[in-house]
Amino acid sequence: MTFRTNYTVNKTTRFRLLSEDQKARIFRGVIKTLNDTGANVHHEEVRDILGKNGCKVDGKRVRIPPEVVLDALASLPPTTTLYSWDGDEEMCYVEPGRSYFGPGPTPPNFNDPDTLERRPYLRKDATTVARVCDALPNIGYVQSLGSISDVTNGLADVYEFADMIQNTRKIIMNWAFSVENLADEHRIGIVMAGGEEAFSRRPNFIHYSEPISPLTSDFDAIGKCLYCAKHRIPQVYTPCCIGGATVPATHAGQIIVAMSESMVGVVLSQIVNPGTCIIIGGVQSILDMRRTIYSYGAPELGIMSAAFTEMLNYVGLPMYSTSGCTDTKKMELQSGIEAAFSIHMAMLSGANFVHDNGYTESGITGDIFQTVMDDEIIGMSRLIGGGVEVNEETLAVEEICNVGPGGHYLYEDHTMKWFRHHWQPTLMDRNSYEDWDAQGRLTMKDRIVNKTRDIIENYEGPASRVPEEARKDLQKILDAAEDRVRSQS
Amino acid sequence: MAVDLGQMAELLIAGKVDEVEKMTGQAIEEGMDPSDILQKGLIAGMDVVGQRFKACDMFIPEVLRSAKAMGAGMKQLRPMLVASGAKMAGTMVIGTVKGDLHDIGKNLVGMMFEGAGFQVVNLGIDLESQVFVDAVKEHKPELLGMSALLTTTMPKMGEVINALKEAGIRDQVKVMVGGAPVTEEFAKEIGADIYGANAASSVDKAKAVLNA
Repeated sequence: MTFRTNYTVNKTTRFRLLSEDQKARIFRGVIKTLNDTGANVHHEEVRDILGKNGCKVDGKRVRIPPEVVLDALASLPPTTTLYSWDGDEEMCYVEPGRSYFGPGPTPPNFNDPDTLERRPYLRKDATTVARVCDALPNIGYVQSLGSISDVTNGLADVYEFADMIQNTRKIIMNWAFSVENLADEHRIGIVMAGGEEAFSRRPNFIHYSEPISPLTSDFDAIGKCLYCAKHRIPQVYTPCCIGGATVPATHAGQIIVAMSESMVGVVLSQIVNPGTCIIIGGVQSILDMRRTIYSYGAPELGIMSAAFTEMLNYVGLPMYSTSGCTDTKKMELQSGIEAAFSIHMAMLSGANFVHDNGYTESGITGDIFQTVMDDEIIGMSRLIGGGVEVNEETLAVEEICNVGPGGHYLYEDHTMKWFRHHWQPTLMDRNSYEDWDAQGRLTMKDRIVNKTRDIIENYEGPASRVPEEARKDLQKILDAAEDRVRSQS
Repeated sequence: MAVDLGQMAELLIAGKVDEVEKMTGQAIEEGMDPSDILQKGLIAGMDVVGQRFKACDMFIPEVLRSAKAMGAGMKQLRPMLVASGAKMAGTMVIGTVKGDLHDIGKNLVGMMFEGAGFQVVNLGIDLESQVFVDAVKEHKPELLGMSALLTTTMPKMGEVINALKEAGIRDQVKVMVGGAPVTEEFAKEIGADIYGANAASSVDKAKAVLNA
């Protein structure tokens, strides 16, 4: 092949919103906000740690000077690897240019897979979501799409994680009500990894928690952040900012607030355990000023998430973004339109972990059918994001000259070698009219429902491979959690 | 020159807080009937605001401005209306329950009730049950509003209702609950009187229950 000097290659679609100057201005806004105003931190131990490490503490208020922020950013790990619970496979790399799409946490309702009607989220749904996500090729990590309503109050999170991890080898992003429950989940991760040492070498989950907009870290959220940092558990610390309500109505202003409130967690984590993995970002959307709904289908969600991703790239932080979600209540055209827009924006921006694929009704109802549809959209988007490969082989000039005018390429070895790179639909209809008619005139909704139910009925997940010993240990953890909750009430 | 109540209504619709406040003061000074000021000025304006909001011609920040103007006028009118025995919307006490620091939804509801002419006592966030009980005793509200955004803190709303029962004051107040994960079924289960699905509709629902 010809050697080329200073030849620039675009391996993927290039997508930029902000110029270097714009990014620098936004970052200076973050630095000034943290230095001049800071955030309220409702946790004494955390305030102590921050105070002893260069932050200015005044009551609950913590102000973070620029040098402390820059030190924290400098100690972030360039990459972190997460493993399947059996330790056999590297499942996720937290690093620039890697994008993993998954569902989201904790809606109270679930779209019932049998009746297609909304109802409270049940324990069995966590297993369903884990199994279906395990089967979907474009879903890169897993969240539950709900908050279990039919177990002991206050233990929904622990049951959810114990059930889910046995039903998928993909990385689970779990959540917890409290540090005690997070410690239970940590034990579950350790059991599944085969011991404490194995877990610390090959972590098998990422923990998710949320500060509150504007600029507030509550006791549980920052407590969990501290726990993860101490134990070097990869974590997400991201708010859900409501444009025009909890943050400014302008996108640049929203990004400044969002980044500032998460930066409290970034600084804390790097002080406590330099090099521990922390991801920020969150849901960035607007309050619909007519309906007072936090919109999950707004185009603003797409553009703000993409801009935020660029900002985090600029400072070396991984981005937890949002896509594949909708404000509509039922599977219909709107859910597909909104999902496609946000997925493609997240893909082209290069966000790292992209959640809420499967959220409907503005985050109130989890819907595994939506996730299945999103899986198909992610596949299409990934192909576009992959760009056009340009080299001697793909230029195919030799083949073009060989076939010449008027010929065809269907017999060519080159075609045999490359046509499989074409994206293959699993839901999109490309039948002829006659075939479509003969097959029962199925709509997209029919195909989504059929595919989902087929996975639920027939997919063989990893559950049977969980060692008996581990299963017993998980039950012990659940029993101990039950005892603890009983003794507290 | 007499104060033009039609103009007052217009200013209220436009969200001119200071001007509505000033005009209400002038109207009182001129000896206008407080009920007239309320009905033909403030409420006439808020009625239009309500209609326009439902028709999607007005947005929440505009509605809240108008509500604030309504509140500013009511503050001056209230003592006179009380003295004259005129019928008023009454008092609402509102807060977010223990363990929950979420503020915005509850504030939005409070502001909307202010716009409907209620005197709103906003207790804040992360409140013990006793704070609600004490506030009901102190302010004697017609309505108690509680909010929770977290599935963990939702049950605290039931605890507050129980605390009201234990204090023997449950039947003195209508209880309304809301917050993103709260459902109508949950509201019934814990014995609340009103479920507020969102800020605007909770005002209508509360009015219907209080006027029943």
